[in-house]
Amino acid sequence: MIGRIVRKLGPGFWPLSIRVPVVVALLMMGVSALIGNRVLAGLEETQERHLQQLASAYLDGLSASLIPPVLRDDVWEVFDTLDRAKQRYRALNVKWAAVTNGGANVIAASDPARFPSLQKLPDAIAANFSPVSEVTLDEERESAHLSRALLYQEREIGRIYAEADIGALLHERAGVLRTLLLTNGVLTLFLALAGYLAVRRMLNPVSLLSSHLDQAAQGAIGPIPEPIVARQGREYQRLFKRYNGLVRAVSEREALAADLAEEERLASLGRLASGMAHEINNPLGGMFNALDALRRHGERETVRQTSVSLLERGLSGIRDLVRSTLATYRGARGSRDLARADLDDLRLLLGPELKRRSLTLSWDNRFDESLQLPAGPVRDVALNLLLNACEASPEGAAVTFRAELRDACLVLHVADEGPGLPPDIRDYLIQAQADATPVNRRAGLGLWIVKRLCAEIGAELVLPQTERGSEMRVMIPGRVEALRDVA
Amino acid sequence: MNSTVKQDPIRAPARTQARRRQALAWLAAAPIILSGASLVRAQSPLNFGLTPVFLTNDLELLTRLETYLAQKTGREIALVQRRTYEEITGLLLSGQLTAAWICGYPFAQYRDRLSLVAVPVWQGQPLYRSYLIAGSGRNARSIDDLRGDIHAFSDPNSNSGFLVTAALLAERKLRPEQFFRQSFFTYGHRNVVRAVASGLAQSGSVDGYVWEVMASIEPELTGSTEIVSRSQLLGFPPIACLKTQEESVETRLMRDAFVGMAHDPAGREILGLLKLDGFSVEDPGLFDSIAKNMLLVRALNT
Repeated sequence: MIGRIVRKLGPGFWPLSIRVPVVVALLMMGVSALIGNRVLAGLEETQERHLQQLASAYLDGLSASLIPPVLRDDVWEVFDTLDRAKQRYRALNVKWAAVTNGGANVIAASDPARFPSLQKLPDAIAANFSPVSEVTLDEERESAHLSRALLYQEREIGRIYAEADIGALLHERAGVLRTLLLTNGVLTLFLALAGYLAVRRMLNPVSLLSSHLDQAAQGAIGPIPEPIVARQGREYQRLFKRYNGLVRAVSEREALAADLAEEERLASLGRLASGMAHEINNPLGGMFNALDALRRHGERETVRQTSVSLLERGLSGIRDLVRSTLATYRGARGSRDLARADLDDLRLLLGPELKRRSLTLSWDNRFDESLQLPAGPVRDVALNLLLNACEASPEGAAVTFRAELRDACLVLHVADEGPGLPPDIRDYLIQAQADATPVNRRAGLGLWIVKRLCAEIGAELVLPQTERGSEMRVMIPGRVEALRDVA
Repeated sequence: MNSTVKQDPIRAPARTQARRRQALAWLAAAPIILSGASLVRAQSPLNFGLTPVFLTNDLELLTRLETYLAQKTGREIALVQRRTYEEITGLLLSGQLTAAWICGYPFAQYRDRLSLVAVPVWQGQPLYRSYLIAGSGRNARSIDDLRGDIHAFSDPNSNSGFLVTAALLAERKLRPEQFFRQSFFTYGHRNVVRAVASGLAQSGSVDGYVWEVMASIEPELTGSTEIVSRSQLLGFPPIACLKTQEESVETRLMRDAFVGMAHDPAGREILGLLKLDGFSVEDPGLFDSIAKNMLLVRALNT
């Protein structure tokens, strides 16, 4: 659960208007890091080279001046030379300098209080100097340690030690780093913001299209108004026009489907009416005969009773048929809950169709009204399934109907012994969207109506594989009756 | 005080400016020269030696002094500077200098060969003192408190910068190397103050006149030092010439120029820079006390 939430928060789910600026910012940061690294490395290299050159010049100058006084152990001359060099090489920022003699004793230092003459240079200080390199950098202490042997006739007569303050160089480096970070940060932020605004502006038409598609998914499909289309760039204009063309095509197809459905309804109605007329006509002959018998032999008790009885049965049959029809087609979409009789009435309605095709109906209605279900859609579903089964069945075949309750669902089974559902219609029923129109007339408008109604009431249409004929199962979720009592 | 080559007639005999002036003088005075009435301008320059007793190597002062002397003597002047007293004294004794501002100690050393031209007057008298100085805050009261120090002297031929202290030690039957842990020469009184102020030396021997003038000009430097003791009054470092030249025209010209300095506006400006009152003609006996110290030190070394 948490993993799914985290995945949903991941960059893959971010909107494009965020993703692009983030990518721009990341690229900028990468470029800044690369450039910054190069600049700092270059600066460091230049600084070190300059320091090396300056240090070499300092040591060269000192060596030339110091050899005679070092040979004489001339304290003052050494001190004066160091003191003057400090002023002359101000750029090197020498903190202190000391000169030792062959015995490693300090002859003089620029800071005599720290390094008194005639004493050894403290080990802790001497340890900072490299015996092989003239210049060593200690960035932690912001110091450069300089040392050079004083050679006279190839003998080391003494050594110069000096410590230069490189704080200014390091501060300059830090300053450059700060400036780079600040500049790049501001630039990155600015570009990210500009990217965000630009992408958002660029994606505006996409958002508009997306919102129209969302509306279409909810059934309210409509074209993008022409003034809005006209405001777009060429690419989006083309896209919007294509979308509007699609909307028009869908609307036309829906209208056509509605017409076809109406035609199918009327055709079904015609078949039913024809059956009903036949049903009514059949007893009518007997009833007229009974009337004729009454007219002629009405004084006879037996004739009268037989004729009246015949008339009563005939009229009762007609009345039942009319009632069922009225119940089915009057207020079919009412909010009334489904009753057991609503399903049983269907058997009566199917009577003429069954008779016309010489079909037998196996009827098993186990609905006990313990679930609350909308009467109209459920009955329409069942009627259309049964009519479809009748149409698919060969003459003399059997059609099976079963209604039962399972897991708070009303399950309707309708089976026939026909040739089975063609694969394209099976795919259409299983895969196509509820509001998709049937591909062609062969798909059967009755089944299209079933699918739409199923989607409307949240029912699931299942088509189990059968060896013979076809079976359709509709699972319609309902509310438990007890809830209504509680309410 | 370090040597300045440009005034050195031995290394660089004539300066451009002097040449130009000389050329102009030649042109202007051509008829007179032809008559032989002003041969003085064609004569060799007067060489004047300066030792590090001199307070400063300020080029402005040197230029003013040169101009003043040239104007007063009517002769071209060449200022000669050397690092040590010994070098200047050597040039003077060998006759390469007309006169030189030396120290009382070389004068005492070569008294039989040298004569006084003039003696500076400081604070109303031709006298000064030698100071023993130490780092400030040390609270030393006499030379005895300085035993075992690294000590800075000015010059081995300086009275105030060496001889006075050596004589003090000689009175104690000690030589400097026996009393001090180490001693060195800085060849300049100002350098002695620098050495002590920086801590390079714990104590030093310095010209009292130099220290006092520095105290008014560079108080931050002398502020790092304190005076341990002052010597008795001694003869101020004099301007001397060879005894054989005592009465020569050149010596008289020089003497008149120095003695008359206090009465000349340009001369007073130079005296102002030097913080001196003037120059006077003094008796060589002024340096007897220095000679006495010299003998004291020599006696210990022999």
